[in-house]
Formats: sequence, C-alpha cells, structure tokens
Amino acid sequence: MKQRLAGRILASTLIFLVALVILFPFFWILTSSFKRQVDIVASPPRLFSFAPVLANYVRVFAEQNFPRYFLNSTVIGATSVAASLLLGLPAAYSIARFRQRRLSVFILVARLLPGISFLMPWYILFSRLHLMDTYVALVLSHMLIVLPVVVWVMSSYFASIPVEIDESAMVDGATRQRTMLSLILPIAGPGIATATTLSFIFSWNNFLFSQVLSMEKTRTLPIAVYNFVSYAEVDWGAVMAAAVAIMTPAIILTMIFQKYVVQGLTLGAVKG
Amino acid sequence: MKRAAVAIIILALAVSLAGAQSAEIRVLLANHPYGDLLKTAIPEFEQATGIKVNVESLQESQLTTKLTTEFATNSSSVDVFMTRPLQEGKMFYKNGWYAPLASYDFSDFPANAMNAATFGSKAYLIPLVTEWEVLYYRKDLLKKAGIAVPTTFAELEAAAKKLNDPTTGVAGFAARGKGAAAVTQLSSFIYSSGGFYLDKGKAAFDQRPAMDAIRFYGKMLANYGPQGATSLSWENIMPLFQAGKVALWTDASVFYGQIVDPSKSQIPAESVGIATFPAGPKGNTPYTVASWGMAMAKQSKNKDAALKFLTWATSKDLAKRGMLANITMARASVWSDPEILAKMNKDLVSTRAYAAKNGFPYDRPYMTAVGEARDRIGELIIASINSAGAAPDLDTKAHDLAEKVNELLEDTGEAGQ
Amino acid sequence: MSGGFVDRHFKILAPLPAAVFVVVMILFPVIYTVFLSFTNWNLTSGNPLQVVALRSYGRVFREPRFLAAVARTFLFTLLAVGVETILGTALAVLLRRQFAGKGLVKLLLLLPLVAAPVAIGISWNLFYDPNIGIANYLLHQIGLGGLKWIYDSTTVIPSLAIVDIWQWTPMITLIVMAGLAGLSPEPFESARVDGATDSQILWRVTLPMVLPTIYTAMILRSIDGLKTFDIIYAMTGGGPGYASETLNIMAFKYSFEYFRMGQSSVLLVILFLIVLLFSLGIVRLQRLSEG
Repeated sequence: MKQRLAGRILASTLIFLVALVILFPFFWILTSSFKRQVDIVASPPRLFSFAPVLANYVRVFAEQNFPRYFLNSTVIGATSVAASLLLGLPAAYSIARFRQRRLSVFILVARLLPGISFLMPWYILFSRLHLMDTYVALVLSHMLIVLPVVVWVMSSYFASIPVEIDESAMVDGATRQRTMLSLILPIAGPGIATATTLSFIFSWNNFLFSQVLSMEKTRTLPIAVYNFVSYAEVDWGAVMAAAVAIMTPAIILTMIFQKYVVQGLTLGAVKG
Repeated sequence: MKRAAVAIIILALAVSLAGAQSAEIRVLLANHPYGDLLKTAIPEFEQATGIKVNVESLQESQLTTKLTTEFATNSSSVDVFMTRPLQEGKMFYKNGWYAPLASYDFSDFPANAMNAATFGSKAYLIPLVTEWEVLYYRKDLLKKAGIAVPTTFAELEAAAKKLNDPTTGVAGFAARGKGAAAVTQLSSFIYSSGGFYLDKGKAAFDQRPAMDAIRFYGKMLANYGPQGATSLSWENIMPLFQAGKVALWTDASVFYGQIVDPSKSQIPAESVGIATFPAGPKGNTPYTVASWGMAMAKQSKNKDAALKFLTWATSKDLAKRGMLANITMARASVWSDPEILAKMNKDLVSTRAYAAKNGFPYDRPYMTAVGEARDRIGELIIASINSAGAAPDLDTKAHDLAEKVNELLEDTGEAGQ
Repeated sequence: MSGGFVDRHFKILAPLPAAVFVVVMILFPVIYTVFLSFTNWNLTSGNPLQVVALRSYGRVFREPRFLAAVARTFLFTLLAVGVETILGTALAVLLRRQFAGKGLVKLLLLLPLVAAPVAIGISWNLFYDPNIGIANYLLHQIGLGGLKWIYDSTTVIPSLAIVDIWQWTPMITLIVMAGLAGLSPEPFESARVDGATDSQILWRVTLPMVLPTIYTAMILRSIDGLKTFDIIYAMTGGGPGYASETLNIMAFKYSFEYFRMGQSSVLLVILFLIVLLFSLGIVRLQRLSEG
C-alpha cells in the first residue's frame, strides 16, 4: 500500500516538474506578448514585474492582414488533413492487414526528402499550371508532409487491433471495405485523433512550402510571424503576440477536430 | 443618329474602362521600414495611376530565397522588387535578372551610391537607403569614468578597458563577432588601417594592414567584449545595449532609433550618444553604403507599369517622407533640406555628413560569390576573437582563406579586376 | 456473397490513391534534384549549367565542412531523438492512469508542438544569452556558474538538442499514449492475477507490447530530426562558425547564400540517402521487436 502511495506521489511530482519545464517557455512567450520590448530584454529578467500593454496585439491584428492569414491556414490545414485521411486511412488499413511493408516505406519516403529539394521543381510545376497562390498548390504540398504521418501512425495502430475482429466480421459476410469502415475505424478513434492532431499541427506550422508557393492571397500564419523580423529590427513583443495568436487557434482547432473525428466515427459504429 | 451616338459613347466608355483596369503589378519588398512606408503609400499610387499593386513583404533572407527560386526557374511573375546591391547585385546582374533602367534620372544620387548600381555603363537598380558605420556610446558611463568620446583606435581601446566591468556585467566594447555578419562592421576597421578586402580583383585581407585591423578587432572583443562574442550579431548586441550591458558599440547607423526608444531601451535617450567611427592608424574611413535598392525584373511582363511604380517609389517626395520617418535615404537632396534636418538627430546627421564625404562605398568584398566569401572571412574573424588576435597561425589561416576567396573570384571570372 | 470488385482487389485499390499521389508529387522533384547533382550549376558564375557527372560530388566530398556536417547531423539527431524517445515514453506511461485534469495535460502537451519555430528560436536565444539570459540567471541563483549555451561551439549542439527535446517530446508522448490506449486489457489482468508488481507489469508487459508504437514514433521523429532546419536556422544559423551546421543547413546555405545549386543538390541527395538508411535501420529494429 505504502509503495503505491509513494509511487503515486513520485509520479505526480514528476508530472508537475515536467509540466513546469514544458510550460515555462510558453509562459514566457505569453507574458512577453504583453510586454514592451524594454521589459522583454531587461536584465535582470522581469518575469512578473512589468506593466502589461496591449500594443503588441494591436500591431499584430491591425497592421497585418491577420484574418486573411488565419482563414488561409485553417482552410489549407483542414483540407490537407481531410484529404490525407481520405487517402491515408484506407492505405494504412491495407498496409496493416496485408503486411505491405514496402508500400508503407515508400509512402514514408515522401517525407524523407529535404524540403528544399521541392522548392524549385514545384515552383516550376505550379507556375506552369497557373496554380501559384492557390489553395490547390498549398494543399497538395502540405499533403505531402501530412499523408505519410497519417499512413505511418495509423498502419501501426491498425496493426495492433487484433485480426480476429476483422475475421469474425468477414466470416459473417462483410466485405473488406465494410469491415474497415464500420468496424475498425470506429475502434481506431484514439489513433485517428492523434494522427489528425499531429497532421493538422504540421500543416499549420509549415513554413517553407507556404512561403515559396504562396503570394499575397494565400499567405499563411507562420509567415505572418516573420513580418515582425525586419532588416534592422526585431519587434520582439509583436513576434510573441503573433506566436500566441498562431498557437491559440491551432489548439482550439485540434480540439474541435479531435472531437469531431472521434464522434463521427463512433456515430458510424452505432449506425452500421 | 441617336443610336450611333449612344454606340460611340458606350464604345468610348468601354475603351477607357479597359484602359483603366489594364495593369496589375507584383511587387516584392523586404521587411524594412521603407517597405512599411511604401505599403501605406501604395493606395495613393493605385488611385493616381489605376495600376493595381500586389505587394508582398518578406524577411531579408526569405526574400532572397523567393526571388532566386522564381528567377532561376524562369517562371517569375515579379515586376518590381527590393534588392541588396552589395550582396546580390552582381549575381542578379550576371544572371540577367535586373532590367536596365535607361530612362531614369539618377542625378540626385551621389556617385558612390551609384557604384554598386551600375554595371558597364548602364544602371540596373535605384539606391533606396543608405547606412554607414558609427560608434554608439553611453554618455553616462563615459562621464562617470571621466573619458572623452574616443576618436582614435587607441582611445577606443583605452576607453573600453576602463569601462569594462565584469562585476556589473558591463562590456567595455561590443561589435559583431558572428562570422559573416561581422564582415560588414569590421570593414571600417580595415579601411581605417589602410587595408581592403579585395584589391584589384584579388583577396587582400591577409595583407598586413588588414590583418592589423583583424587582430585589433579580435583583441578588443576577447578582452572587453560580451560573453559569447563569436555568436553575436546586431540582434543579440542590441538587447544587451538596451539592457545597459554595453558601453561602446560599433555598428551600422540604422539602429539608433531603437536604442533611444524608451519602450525598448532601459537606457534613457540622453545617456545614449552616437559619434563618428574612430580613426585608425591610417585614416578615418568608415563604410557608407546603399544597403537597399529597388529594381525592375527583366522577366516582368508589365514593364511600363513597373517603371511607373519604380519611379514613384523612389521619388524625391517619398524619400522626404522616409527621412521624416527617420529612414536614412540615399538621395542627396533630402540631406540638405532644412525642414527635414531640423527633425533628425543632430549627431546622426553629422556622422552621416562625415561618412558621405570620407567614407568608402563598400562594406564587404564586392564580388558575385560574396555570400561564401563572407563565411570564409568570418572564419578568420572568429579565429581572431578566440585567440584575442594573438594566435601565431592567424596569418597562415588568413593566407589559406584568401586563397579560397581567390578561387571564388576565379570561378566567377572576376579575378584580377 | 464473397464481395465485389473492390473487396477482391482491396489490397491494391485501398492504397492506390495514396501511392499515386506520392509518386506524382515527388517524381519531378526527385528527378530534378538528382539531375542537378550531376551538374555544376552555379548562379554566381553566370554560366549556363553543364552536366559534369560526378564532379560536383567530388567537390562536396573534398570539402572538410561536409564530413563535419554529416557527423553533426548524427550527433544532434541521436542526442535529441534518443532523449525524446525515452522521456516521451516515460511521460506516456506516467499519464496513462486516469486522473483529474488529464484532458488539460494532454492539451498542455500540444503547446510546444504548435509554437511557431521563429518565436521559439527568438525566445530560446534570449534564454540562452550568457549576458542577460534567464538560463544563466537561474544558474547563478543556485550558485552555479554560467554556461555559453548556443554561443559557444562546444555547447551549441546539446543546447540546440534541449530546444528540440522541449518541442518534440510531446509528439512521442501523444503517439505512445494512443498506442497504450489501444492495448487490450487481458494481458494486464492476467498479469495482475498472477501477482505481478507494478514495476514488473511495466517492464514485462506494457513496454514490450507498446514497443512497436515506440518505434513508429521514433522513426517519424528521426526522419524529421535528421532534417531539422527551423530551430537551428532561427537560433544559430549554423554557427558559431560552422559548429551547428547540419547537412540540411549546409544545403540551404549552398542553395540560397552561395547559390551553388549543383553542389547543394549533392548535399540533398546525400541527406536523403542518410535519412533513408537510418529509417530503414530502425524499421528493421521494429520488425525484430515484433518478431
């Protein structure tokens, strides 16, 4: 009994310490978004002793095209993730059940290529197809990052679901696709939620592809943060405010996505 | 009769409308105070000319990435863009990415600003803003120690030594040590010691005069500089200065505004001074350069509209507005406008006057492969700092690196020019 | 009914769209990059590109910076991913039990993942500043001397690894947590029935069962780790000197600062091969663990 309690206290303490470490930089970014620059770079560091200002957020939202960037990031993120789930889930299921190892590595290979190698070829491709500064180009490029994550995470997850479940359904006459859709996917809720979350985050934060393939109309949020990194000046407060402005919707959106995806699947299970 | 008149009117309207909504141009700007100014002024231009301007602004190195990607693949849709004459000018010109500007009037630009804008006999870009090296100093710390503002290298060293205080964490002297980034700010030290980065198309920074400067620089930073000097560039030194941890700082003139701004700096404005770069053993020659210019893309499909925009964006009128916003513009006339001068900091103006007259118009080796050359010279600077300028093999290292830079010059066909 | 066309050809049709998508998107870039690696395209020369077979490869291999960059790439990745895997798994195990605020903790775990790299870079640069940064401030408070962190060539890689660990450990935690949630309860029940202690259950039942998932997370993280770009670029740009220059950073410099497109393509090809071999290696380990 005592061992259990001691173990529990230890665990809680560790969690607390870890949370502290994880949170501190975020805490610093958050508080700095309300500081004037003199308080951000002050020595000794001013963790709490500063007069908060809203000026940074005013700069971020008023002077830049923020709502537009937010819309772009959301549309591109949602579409990339949705499309990747559509393509990736069946692929992952097939890979898991038919042990198509080479295929899974092949899809993962897409992620192996360093981002820079795509810049010029894609630029040529998309500009010839007149797709520059369109959602299409950006969604496609983001999918290349996101699809392998979905396939990789989900194939591993599906593989851990006992084959017996599939087999009993098929013995009863269900087709593969029916089994997958009505039986396995709903059970795979936690895995899908995770894959969705991570995918959305990767798309949301993507910088390189967005910067080169987008122009004025389809600019995304991460690029907006660099708006405050200037030739001879770094607007620290505004960078922090922009960062917070980027992080918050990302978290809220992933929360919504998770709920939606998991709920949707469970509903599917109940119906079918 | 009536029907014909109506038809003619409609036709005329259609034609004029078609003309009015004709042009659309794409402009790429850097994240720069002048770029910000332009962005606010662009609606005026659109109103006056009916040309729609699609403007994007990017951080400096991302701008280069984007422009390079677009131009090198011959699929660009850029019409006008901001450019750095000394960093990419030669490369862009060589690859035919700048459009020649034959009809533009360059008379208001000083000769040394036009040096890096002209190739052969034609001009390919318009200088926008200028900067020169200065000495920022803490008036209060100097006063307390009873030191006058240094005007020579010897005085600089003596002052740094006296003001350097490890107990309070105040560095006597700060300057960029971060390799390539330091090359530009070291240049004034080299010129004032009688040296150059390049001489007649060959690397000259391993020669005695330049090496004296490099050793001096290394010694100063090693002995009186902040911690981690070899990794510091302006974005690191600025917070240190603003936090009161630096007594003397040599860097570009463009940072003045931020170190006297009470919302940014812990040091009150009256304690911050700006002085002409000190004299070296062989003269007083700070750099004075046109750091940014504007150009028209050769691949532009809307050259007429682009030229209109270019002319407007670099006009005297906008230059005046830039000056009033404390942006140090390249045009000569705005610097003799009394109304403008009355609003600017007197010391900043006088340092500029000196630099404009006596400065050297390059702050880095002026060559096509300057990016790589800067990294090489940066290696030397770091080695000097790490050994306080006293390493016995510093000269050997300098010769090796000079060889590498010479190879670069040969590869690009610039050796011996 | 034994199922229609789709059912019979499921193993081809199901992954087909994904596979086709990947091929279409990477075919041209791969060909382009490999082709360029066989040329001497250098934008500073102003000459049109010429095919020079393996000459660019030779020039890259002879550059001492190259091997150093390869070594650093491995050093950084092994350090960062190693710690992330261990720490991430430990966290996942710790968070396994239901407790008040679990949802909140999961949310907090997301924070480092969604933070913009440039903001992280700027913030950590300031934390690490040896003169006014909070890291040394805290060290001084507890009586220790200050470190130079990213501002010194000997400490820069571990300091960068710390930032990477801060940012990406949660990703491993989330993946492993999902894996743990999907484990069937029987082995645990029978182990408990057999009288096994918590510790025994952890090491003999939990971890072995979730090991494949841990490998999955590790592979994903390794791939990204070897290619780490954002934080290194935002924080040190490869410096001091070249002390934190990994292959990806070097490739970027060669592309957009030196404009040596041919040679940077060589670096990209090599980086790709390294990542491929490394991942295949871990995939093999994963397969063995499933055996």
